[in-house]
Amino acid sequence: MKKKIILSLFFLFLLFTMGSVMTMFYILRVTTRLDTLITLHQVEILRQDLVINVQTVQSHLYTLGTSFGKELDVIVENVATLDNAAQKCSGCHHSPEITSKIKTIQDLTEQYKEALSTFITTTAGRERVERLQIVAANIGNMILTKTQEMAFIANQKLNEKTIAAIKDVSSSRIILIVTLLLCFFIALAIAASLTREVTEPVSELLKATRKIKTGELGYTTSYAGKDEFKELLESFNDMSITLNENNKKIIQHLVRLSGLYRITLSFHAITNVEDIYKEVSYGIAELVEIEQCGVILLDKDKEFFTHRFPAFGLNQEQIANIRIPKENFIDIYRSSNRRPLTLNDNASALPFGEIDKNLNVKNLMLIWIRQKGELLGAIRVANKKSGDFSEEDSRILGILANNVSVALENAKLYENLKKQMAELKETQEELVQAAKLAAIGELASNIAHEINNPLTSILGYSELIKEETDINNIMRDIEVIEKESLRARDIVHQLLEFSRKRPLEIKEIQINDIMSEVLALAAVPLKDSNIKISKLYGDIPLIEGDANQLKQVFLNIINNAIFAMQGGGSLGVTTAMTDKDSVHIEIRDTGKGIPKEILQRIFEPFFTTKQEKGTGLGLSVSYKIIQSHNGRIDVESEEDRGTKFTIVLPVSVKQLF
Amino acid sequence: MKFIFNFILLFFVISMPFKVFAQEEILLGLIPEQNIFKQMERYRPLASYLSEKAGVKVRLTILSRYGDIVERFVARSLDGAFFDSLTGAMAITRMGVEPMARPVNLDGKATVRSYIFVRTDSKINSVKDMKGKKVVFVDMATATGYLFAVAFLHENGIHDINRYFNEYFFTGSHDSAIYSVLDNRADIGSAQDTIFNMLASKDPTIKRELHIIAQSEELPETTLCLRKSISSKIKNRITDILLHMNEDPAGKKILKKFGAVKFIRAEAGDFNSVFNLARRAQINIKEYKGTR
Repeated sequence: MKKKIILSLFFLFLLFTMGSVMTMFYILRVTTRLDTLITLHQVEILRQDLVINVQTVQSHLYTLGTSFGKELDVIVENVATLDNAAQKCSGCHHSPEITSKIKTIQDLTEQYKEALSTFITTTAGRERVERLQIVAANIGNMILTKTQEMAFIANQKLNEKTIAAIKDVSSSRIILIVTLLLCFFIALAIAASLTREVTEPVSELLKATRKIKTGELGYTTSYAGKDEFKELLESFNDMSITLNENNKKIIQHLVRLSGLYRITLSFHAITNVEDIYKEVSYGIAELVEIEQCGVILLDKDKEFFTHRFPAFGLNQEQIANIRIPKENFIDIYRSSNRRPLTLNDNASALPFGEIDKNLNVKNLMLIWIRQKGELLGAIRVANKKSGDFSEEDSRILGILANNVSVALENAKLYENLKKQMAELKETQEELVQAAKLAAIGELASNIAHEINNPLTSILGYSELIKEETDINNIMRDIEVIEKESLRARDIVHQLLEFSRKRPLEIKEIQINDIMSEVLALAAVPLKDSNIKISKLYGDIPLIEGDANQLKQVFLNIINNAIFAMQGGGSLGVTTAMTDKDSVHIEIRDTGKGIPKEILQRIFEPFFTTKQEKGTGLGLSVSYKIIQSHNGRIDVESEEDRGTKFTIVLPVSVKQLF
Repeated sequence: MKFIFNFILLFFVISMPFKVFAQEEILLGLIPEQNIFKQMERYRPLASYLSEKAGVKVRLTILSRYGDIVERFVARSLDGAFFDSLTGAMAITRMGVEPMARPVNLDGKATVRSYIFVRTDSKINSVKDMKGKKVVFVDMATATGYLFAVAFLHENGIHDINRYFNEYFFTGSHDSAIYSVLDNRADIGSAQDTIFNMLASKDPTIKRELHIIAQSEELPETTLCLRKSISSKIKNRITDILLHMNEDPAGKKILKKFGAVKFIRAEAGDFNSVFNLARRAQINIKEYKGTR
């Protein structure tokens, strides 16, 4: 193609050069002819000037007579011009005939000048002067005659040259047009041929690139040329095929990476090791088509590395046989230079010897699992279905091994966490119980007084019965005793009910009811401390919570209020709904208030202002209980003015819908 | 804007003097010493050189004849003329023109002589032989073409040329007079030696066929005389240019073409020889018109 283009361009160059040469030749020829014509016309003008000058001088000769006066200068100038015109003629190339005539005219001009000068300057007799005038005039006339003869010859030549020039112009025009048209059409044909030869493979290439653009990788063209374009398109075809193969590899990699990602992602949610073994084994089986796969880890007694169950392609019995002494396993690890061990075609070098042979291992790969530089175990992969284990398999499984290491560590941590959480829960429950008992303790003297009253009545009426004989009176006294006993039993029952250690019981409860029960429990100490109670229960929905724990919270706050109002005061309790999602409980007292410097510390465990009377657990436990109910507890206090506790608890979800 | 205004002003100021000079023109007359066309051709390069150097346009005009030179000088409003010795003397005497410069010919002389010549085959060797012959003069207003011949004839006892000669006529130019004798149109001729020698150098027949029988004393060569009323500045400038043109290569070239070595300063005293010759010819220059 390159050769063809160069040859075509060379041919075009030759064509245009020939055209240009011909054009220049004809232009030169025509312009030369025209130059000649112009020169001839100029000569004609010269001749005419000569004639005019001679005629002018002649007219002066005849009209002015012998007295020229001022006009002499004009004659002198005219003669000078005439002389110039005659001299100019001799500068051109002429035929001998014309040259001879020009010479004659020049001689005559010289004679004319002489005759004129003589005539002008002579002052002899009139006759002589007239004779001189005639002589000069005759010479002038001769010049005119000779000039006319020359004009006739010149005109003839001029005509001939004009006809020849016109012919030349005409033929030049035709030749130029033919040359230009010929050049144009030949150039057009060459350009069309070249364009076709260039555009055909280019459009084929364009079509192929579009196919590839739309995803049809591997598309090949079938261009049948023999030039560089064929090479280009063949190269393009190779590129397309390579592109397709590479694309397939990329997709394969992506599938593997996606599988790897899926497996490793699942590790984040797995908390027990069996699930890890299962995910790793079955996940690897999907990524690399193999027959056997599983995880080998160091036993608890740290003497053997054993295969873990579940595993892909191995039953429990087979797994149980894979048990390698720690030293042997570490030797294999070291001998592999701590790099993945791959055995594709050397059955005699199988690392676990008989174990592998019994499992019909054809090829095998061990990818080491390490944690903080220490060997934990390995992922064992055996019998790849399609060919040998590759470097890429090694890389992917290496990534997986790292993730397995992390997942195992996570599982271990999770196990520890679970244990600690259980312990914490137990401790918290004990703490709550202790706090509860402490709260009861605070009420104990009052409760004892409350129980003492029915007991006193019972004892009194028992004494009366001893002395009574009338059965009716006895029965009436027994009824009083029964009534007072029931009263005492209720009090004790309430105490037992509250103090009993029982598990968390979340159910729908009404806060207003809970608050009433607490106030009843604290009625005696409130009364004894001369504290007025004002209650304002709003129309509030049910909440989800543990009634006993919430009672404990409210009792703690009310106990603190009683302690703060030793000289009497008022206790305000308000329940309300400030928004549709939560219930607000407000407990206010008019006690001595909490100093600012300790206000931030009242929810800290074991922080108390009651000295030996308090445990410092009440408010801290209350804070935890409200937190576990997804609620909030706030306190506002002003010294000598009182304290306000606000508890916000979420409305039961069932109540919202 | 100011810059443009100043530039225009400067341009006018600078161009003004040249404009004044460009408008000035000096018209110089040429006497027909020879063929008037040749005479014009001889003086034209000199006029161009003067124009270029002096910054004054120098124009030439041919005076068709020597006679009535004073009247023609006035009538044509000439500023000056290249006068021959007699017309120069007449112009100095009657118009007071100032002689400025005259050329030194190629032979090193700034003077001319008058020749009286005959054809070799005419057998005229003395005034006696001239009787009844045809005589050609140049002009009555020339010293070399007429005055010397008249003086010569007077001194040889011929006082009336009308009676002594068969015919006499005036050609108006020296070369015509020479050719008139050479061509047998006249038997005796009188002309200036410089013209005679110049033609003889070009045309050998002149030397061969003409015979000089008398020659005058030295008379001043054609002299440039300028009108008195012309500003002395211009007069001096033109004179200076002429006097120094032999020192300038371009001027030297012009001089060569002109047929001179240089120009020398001319004075009225140079014309004393002419006045002497006039006395010998019994002519009073003060009253002499140079025409019949």
